[in-house]
Amino acid sequence: MKNVAIILLLAAVILGFSGPTETITVKGSDTMVILAQRWAELYMQKNPGVVIQVTGGGSGTGISGLINGTTDICNASRPMKPSEKSKLKQRYNSLGVEIKTAKDGLSIYVNEKNPVQEFSLAQLRGIYTGKITNWKEIGGPDQRIILYGRENNSGTYVYFRDNVMMGDDYSSTMQSMPGTAAVVNAVAKDEFGIGYGGAAYGKGIREAKVKVDEKSPAYAPTEENVKSGNYPIARYLYLYVRSRPSGAIKDYIDWILSPEGQSIVKKVGYFPVR
Amino acid sequence: MQRLKYCLLFLVITSALSYGQDSSKTVNERNITEIQDAVSGINETIAEMKTTLDALKKIKLSGYVQSQFTSTNGAGGYDGVKTSGPTAVGNFSGGALGKDVSSRFLVRRGRLKAVYKNDLTQYVMQIDVTQSGVSIKDMYLSVKEPWLKTFALTAGVFDRPFGFEISYSSSSREAPERTRMYQTLFPGERELGMKLEVIPTEQMGFLSLFNFKFGVFNGTGPTTHDVDNRKDVIGRLGIGLQFQEQNVALDAGVSVYSGSVRSNTKYVYEKINELDSTSTNNGKYFDRSYIGIDAQLYADFLPFGGSSIRAELISGQQPGTKDDNRSPSALLTGDMYVRNFLGYYAALIQNIGLSHQLVVRYDEFHPNSDNSSKNIGAPGSNMGLGDLAYKTIGIGWVYHYDENVKFVAYYDMISNDEISPITTNTAYRPYIKDVKDDIFTFRIQYKF
Repeated sequence: MKNVAIILLLAAVILGFSGPTETITVKGSDTMVILAQRWAELYMQKNPGVVIQVTGGGSGTGISGLINGTTDICNASRPMKPSEKSKLKQRYNSLGVEIKTAKDGLSIYVNEKNPVQEFSLAQLRGIYTGKITNWKEIGGPDQRIILYGRENNSGTYVYFRDNVMMGDDYSSTMQSMPGTAAVVNAVAKDEFGIGYGGAAYGKGIREAKVKVDEKSPAYAPTEENVKSGNYPIARYLYLYVRSRPSGAIKDYIDWILSPEGQSIVKKVGYFPVR
Repeated sequence: MQRLKYCLLFLVITSALSYGQDSSKTVNERNITEIQDAVSGINETIAEMKTTLDALKKIKLSGYVQSQFTSTNGAGGYDGVKTSGPTAVGNFSGGALGKDVSSRFLVRRGRLKAVYKNDLTQYVMQIDVTQSGVSIKDMYLSVKEPWLKTFALTAGVFDRPFGFEISYSSSSREAPERTRMYQTLFPGERELGMKLEVIPTEQMGFLSLFNFKFGVFNGTGPTTHDVDNRKDVIGRLGIGLQFQEQNVALDAGVSVYSGSVRSNTKYVYEKINELDSTSTNNGKYFDRSYIGIDAQLYADFLPFGGSSIRAELISGQQPGTKDDNRSPSALLTGDMYVRNFLGYYAALIQNIGLSHQLVVRYDEFHPNSDNSSKNIGAPGSNMGLGDLAYKTIGIGWVYHYDENVKFVAYYDMISNDEISPITTNTAYRPYIKDVKDDIFTFRIQYKF
């Protein structure tokens, strides 16, 4: 009985001295979800007192979560829109703090059997607005182009529309997929399909080269080309927090930007910013 | 013979197996075809549902209800004295309190907003449903041009493009009500008319720091027909500066109101309340003109969270009647009083963590900036309660329970200037000292 009491007392002391668990919620970009999970797994291994919960849903969903107070950190594959900053200002009197964590070459996926090797930005704009509908118009077979893209809560969807399509609307024939992996999967199965998404997901399909215009050289979305700025549709991947970070959130973000955190970026297939 | 038997048996078994294989192959192929047909059917159904869903996504319903309890430190806002003048509490906090009534429950706002939004066009309808009935708040359409996506035209009933406080939604505002200055100059906030909005996109670089709104309106408020042929012009030029790394933002603007109000008598009291009884005054238009500046500064105040300081100042000329300085929504029937006015406020809002906000707001409104309120009711003075100046200090706490629900506790300390103590007008007598009209509001809001 005495031993039991001593064990219970020791257990109480040990539990009493063990610090409280900090929980950090991370929500947003599907493009970044694997990267965010890898960061979280490694960080939790090294910091057992911290629990990091990562979910996707798209950049728009993450930013809404930041505004509604349902997430601590938002992952976004596009910058916040002025209207979103305005909502954050109204509710929290804060613009939101933007942290660039990685760089990504937005890849153009085609099926491995597709002979088309490269696209100009004007061609991509024509394809996705529905003005170019047949592969033969850009040197491919006489077959209809099947468009795959993302849903409108996706940062990749918004980035592609704003920077490649110059704000034009997507063709109504585009099939909206719930994640980048679904786009890759669809293009891998569809000989005449085309899709777009993060470089990290480019497995099982071919990533086409992209050029600014017909006269420019075309570049593949490699680290060298993305970092040098030669690849024309490169973008940053962001973290957003409501106010300047402090406490456990600051420690986590500092670690993400450390050499160790940035090495994960490279392992997942994106390009480090530091 | 035995061999022949074995040979026959072998032939039967192999042909049976072969038939079985062929048969199984046919069944598999049939199954695959059936599955492919089923998948095609599902795809067609999904494509059809997607078309319906895409159409439904264009419709957005939102709304909020504000249910509250208010209590004043003076019954009816007049120390229990029934008067015929403008109410001190009532008109500025959701309707006049009854005689000897010092507290009440109220649905202050019950909004339902429907928006149908295509890429460049939208239809907006907002109604307000409270114990007083149903009224229209917004009813407008807007169209954005497709080339620069910078110019937008709005027509209908919508917020007047003046200053900051009008366009800051009541559901987001930390204080329960707008300042006395705004409630006096822009009752109902909205107006019937047309507006051009210029909001440059981010791709336009330096220009995207600016925004411009300009509109032409009836000048009689949101729910009444125009009463004259003159139209009022309202405009605001704004700038928004953001310092992302420091998490600091500064928004500011200059606003102008240029309108007029028709006099329907020859008796007009101008500026220092001197009577002008020229016969041509009857039917003459007198300027209703304001100029305003506003600024909002947002910054982190660690470790608490974001904080903002907001301030506005409006000065100008306002036609009214002797005892009422609110912007008229109908033809004036009595003598016209044309006053120069000055009003301003400053507010500090401090977020504390995710859920809490503290608010402090100070506002002053001098409806007659040329004369002191002390002359109201004095012998020989033509001044009335429409000239009475007010100062208000408000202190409040906001608790965001979740993304839908918030609680607000707010106390407004309202001080009127003291008028001439020798007035014999019974309606004015309560104002020879500060009327007991401080008001406490406890509000619960649900927003979706």
